[in-house]
Amino acid sequence: MTYTGRCACGTVTLRIAAKPLATRQCWCRQCQTIAAGSATNNAIFPAEAVQIDGSLAAASWTAASGNVLTFHYCPACGSQVYGQSSARPTMKTVRFGVIDQPHDLAPQAVIWTDDAPPWAVFDPALERFARQPPAPAPAKQG
Amino acid sequence: MGYTGRCLCGAVTLRIDGDAVGAAQCWCRQCQISAGGGPANNAIFMTDVVRIEGQLATTGWQAASGTHPTLDFCPACGTHVCGRSPSGPGMMAVRIGVIDQPHDLVPQMAIWIEEAPAWAVIDPALPRMTRQTPDPEDKQ
Repeated sequence: MTYTGRCACGTVTLRIAAKPLATRQCWCRQCQTIAAGSATNNAIFPAEAVQIDGSLAAASWTAASGNVLTFHYCPACGSQVYGQSSARPTMKTVRFGVIDQPHDLAPQAVIWTDDAPPWAVFDPALERFARQPPAPAPAKQG
Repeated sequence: MGYTGRCLCGAVTLRIDGDAVGAAQCWCRQCQISAGGGPANNAIFMTDVVRIEGQLATTGWQAASGTHPTLDFCPACGTHVCGRSPSGPGMMAVRIGVIDQPHDLVPQMAIWIEEAPAWAVIDPALPRMTRQTPDPEDKQ
């Protein structure tokens, strides 16, 4: 499976040669801030499968867990490209928005529903987590 | 009514001394790219009631309508703060994500739903527009 992608201005491009380990829609307050009030919709890939061309800027915050979450964005247009947790350096969490359509990615779970605004609607078919779910299993070796 | 707000890193802060003219959830492809794959949720304010402190960077694109909207974001964290369009002079669309909670801003309609992904869940109570909201200045 291969995905391609780009930021809004095209300065940053992506090529991802792997299936996602998991996909999640995250309503934590920080995600709402960087996602125009919505949840972020993320596909978690093995880090080595995500090839990015073009320079990225980064900022970070310390989560309630103590982990440092670093999120990478295009400095020319502000598109959020991917995030990475200090607890999981082998994974990159790519925002659906920058992945070229059509693609087969859809959220498999909704997380941090505790932080969602009252007007948020969730797909009733998706598993929900009030806060942080367990980390996805790493990719199978070989 | 007034609102305060900030970007994720706090380098940009907002103070809004007025009511929103409206609020919309936009599923256009451009908004999906800028909003982590979901819709952008915007509260529309008259520009003169919005005070923004801190440095902003600006990007823009050509919309399907032919207009050139612009988007202001914090260069230190990428957070999109507000957008402006030549079709809405005197107004700006503030991203609801940067407004401090709790607040009373709620999307009142969903627009550009023809570009929403297959997995999108849209509040069934909201009025829906296939594309752009009707604009009195649109000459379609």
